Amino acid sequence: MASSDADYAVWLRGIEKQFPGVIACAGADLRVRPGTIHALLGENGAGKTTMANVLAGVYRPDGGEVWVNGRRRFFQSPADAIQAGVGMVYQEFRLVPTLTVAENIVLGAAPRLLRGAEIEQRVAELSAAYGLAADPARPVWQLSMGERQRVEILKALWRNASVLVMDEPTAVLTPGEAAELGVTLRAMAAEGRSVVYISHKLDQVVAFCDEATVLRRGKTVATVDDLDDVDLQELAEMMVGSSQGVAMDRPPPVDTGSEVLRLQGIHAVGDRGLPALTGIDLTVRSGEIVGIVGVSGNGQKELAEVISGLREPTEGQVSVKGQDVTAASSSDRYRLGLAYVPEDRLGMGLAPKMSVVDNSVVRSYRSQRRGLFLSTAKCTEFCRGLVERFGVRVGRLNDPIAGLSGGNLQRLLLGRELAGRPSVLVAAQPSRGLDVQGVAAIHGHLIDQRADGVGVLLISEDLDELLALSDRLLVMFEGRIMGEYGPDVTPRTILGAAMAGNPPR
Amino acid sequence: MRKPALVRRDRVLPATQALGFFVGIVVALLLGAVLLIVSDHSPAEVYERMFDSALRGTDSLSRTLGRATPLALTGLSVAVAGSMGLWNIGAEGQMMAGAIVATGVAMMADGLSGPLLIALMMAAGVAGGMLLMLGPALARSHLRVSEIITTLMLVYVAIRVVEWLETGPWKDPDSFGFAVIEPVPEQAALPSLFGRANIGMLIALGLLIVFSVAVSRTAWGYELRLAGSSPDTARYAGVSLRRKVLVALILSGGIAGLAGAVQLTGSATRLESGLSNGYGFAGIIVAALALMRPSGVAVAAFVFGAVQVGGQSIQTLGVSSAIADILQAMILFGALVAVVLFNYRIRWTGPAREQQADERLGSAITQEAADV
Repeated sequence: MASSDADYAVWLRGIEKQFPGVIACAGADLRVRPGTIHALLGENGAGKTTMANVLAGVYRPDGGEVWVNGRRRFFQSPADAIQAGVGMVYQEFRLVPTLTVAENIVLGAAPRLLRGAEIEQRVAELSAAYGLAADPARPVWQLSMGERQRVEILKALWRNASVLVMDEPTAVLTPGEAAELGVTLRAMAAEGRSVVYISHKLDQVVAFCDEATVLRRGKTVATVDDLDDVDLQELAEMMVGSSQGVAMDRPPPVDTGSEVLRLQGIHAVGDRGLPALTGIDLTVRSGEIVGIVGVSGNGQKELAEVISGLREPTEGQVSVKGQDVTAASSSDRYRLGLAYVPEDRLGMGLAPKMSVVDNSVVRSYRSQRRGLFLSTAKCTEFCRGLVERFGVRVGRLNDPIAGLSGGNLQRLLLGRELAGRPSVLVAAQPSRGLDVQGVAAIHGHLIDQRADGVGVLLISEDLDELLALSDRLLVMFEGRIMGEYGPDVTPRTILGAAMAGNPPR
Repeated sequence: MRKPALVRRDRVLPATQALGFFVGIVVALLLGAVLLIVSDHSPAEVYERMFDSALRGTDSLSRTLGRATPLALTGLSVAVAGSMGLWNIGAEGQMMAGAIVATGVAMMADGLSGPLLIALMMAAGVAGGMLLMLGPALARSHLRVSEIITTLMLVYVAIRVVEWLETGPWKDPDSFGFAVIEPVPEQAALPSLFGRANIGMLIALGLLIVFSVAVSRTAWGYELRLAGSSPDTARYAGVSLRRKVLVALILSGGIAGLAGAVQLTGSATRLESGLSNGYGFAGIIVAALALMRPSGVAVAAFVFGAVQVGGQSIQTLGVSSAIADILQAMILFGALVAVVLFNYRIRWTGPAREQQADERLGSAITQEAADV
């Protein structure tokens, strides 16, 4: 076994990693040959960052093996990984703003005697060797994001990393800086170093990388030995899934009724202040499931937040059952019949440190009052009702919710949202990170709601899920709806093209 | 190869926490005994004196309760902000602000009867504390300015204001040239319950109960806990974070201001720059010991009060004040560390294969890592 392992710079074998409520990796593999730039692809939550953190010694895997340059490794800390030649450049840079470039680079890996001028000299030589222009004497706070990233790369090179892991490296870069990064990475690969390049910007992946591994739901679903052989559409399909295995009984169509949700000309900006939604029009009728398809980061998160009342649109109108709710708060919208299962279930949907009871009344506590007080009896009864009706497996109702498994968390969250008998349900990534049973339960509930005349807007990055459940599919790309497709009649290639921004005419 | 790692427990029973508190104090006392032996004192004698002076008999108990009263109020003040994840570091200053406004009211209305004057002064104390907190609270809720810095800095402003009042506008003309403010009217002194424990203790206890119930049993408290533990979830539930932050901080300031008024009418005779006497800063430790829960503040304040009284008493045995201070600090530190540590358990981590092997063999045999 060892002889063939030696061929790989990195071999992550059957990596398993679970977090409270989420299965991040379920036996994923990653093999990287020396001297290549290897793209690690997948949607948000597919397990990319977890894999990178396992390789960089930040997480210890629950199962599986880590091999670096032909040796099995048991990293206890990032320091161990650095020792073994693995350097990581995080999305959020980890530099000390008040120190100079040279000081940051040698921090923690400096020769015993610090001689400022000499170190600056050696850093300057290193940066010249890789074409990474960086003035060693400048304090880091003065640098642009692109320059800071160069410092991070130099940090890894200073520690003589043979494997460089980069998490979404171009997210903070201008297009020009991104192109320069490509040149640098090529130079490193030419020296025999390997780069693991995490991204879901497919055009850059195709431009920069040699080979690719695609993760989905914590597993490796495809490996591409030569990226020249595939095009953008094929990659997009691999990411959102094209296996025919999970054929589900498509629910028979239900008579759709009146319009329950309408968005008109919605514009909104994202967290970074850049436009995220640019003119969204859509409607959902009672008794249908409308699926939103797209590669993540194309405005899906902002769309869900605008509809649920957590993000103010800069333009446009949201109405629920014909009533304009654009100015209404999240709780007012819930009372009007708009339920929302947020993507971030343990950060927004539920409060992990609070009890099962406290979490089940997040939407309804105002009606569980008795005089000034919140009635413990009423709340507990309400919670018990949810737990029974939605088959949530819990220990004690007064224990913190963080101890529940992902499937049970999502059952409780969905149950709580449905308890108000909504007319519209917005569900964002409702089955992400769940085990098979959990996924089946959530899908079952969505289908039941549709049969009961609820209009469901399902936002997902899993094409299989969307194709199995949706009555209509809307493809989102760069904050716009590229087109509407029928799930039964549309070939995946056409969906893939629309997701990549080229809807067929 | 296996290393210990701390893992947070999902659930901590109150009994476990009480045990932690107790264990921490015992460990600290044992370590303190070493310190005492090294400094040539008899631990048994010193600890007996501490116990006697702080806890044995009504007189000792009243002393401890007298100390615990302002500590409970400042502790509650810090805990109310703390339950929202906010840090009121400036209870010391808000105490002063409360005492200033209460003194002003007493000067204007010293003809009133005792109970009425006391009630007015308490209200003035609350108002003073709130007033000093208004700036930091608005800056935090609307501009995201760290309340830690602003509340702390205002402590010194409040103390300087008292110094200015002492030497300037409020200087007592009958003080033979000393820079002191005239004493509060006699009828405004808080009635004693027994010994040095006065009505202020009941005020503190009442407030602790009100806040414990409000935080754990009302919709208002539910929103506060939700916003404190998961701000995004609170936003999702339609709670205005801005308003919650503002209200929690203003209330926190008001409670600390009340502590100032209680101290002024309880154990002090007049407003002076040493009135707050570190109670505001000690309130941070009390709140930390109580894990930011109002319900735990009473116990923490009582223990802190007892440790302070006991620590002072042993100086009559010839224990130097430095050693006495170290001893007090060790006891509080021990309790604090233990209370926090009992929220965790130790998990031994090592390479996955070794762990499995260990479990299979049921032994502590460790295999060399496979990369050798």
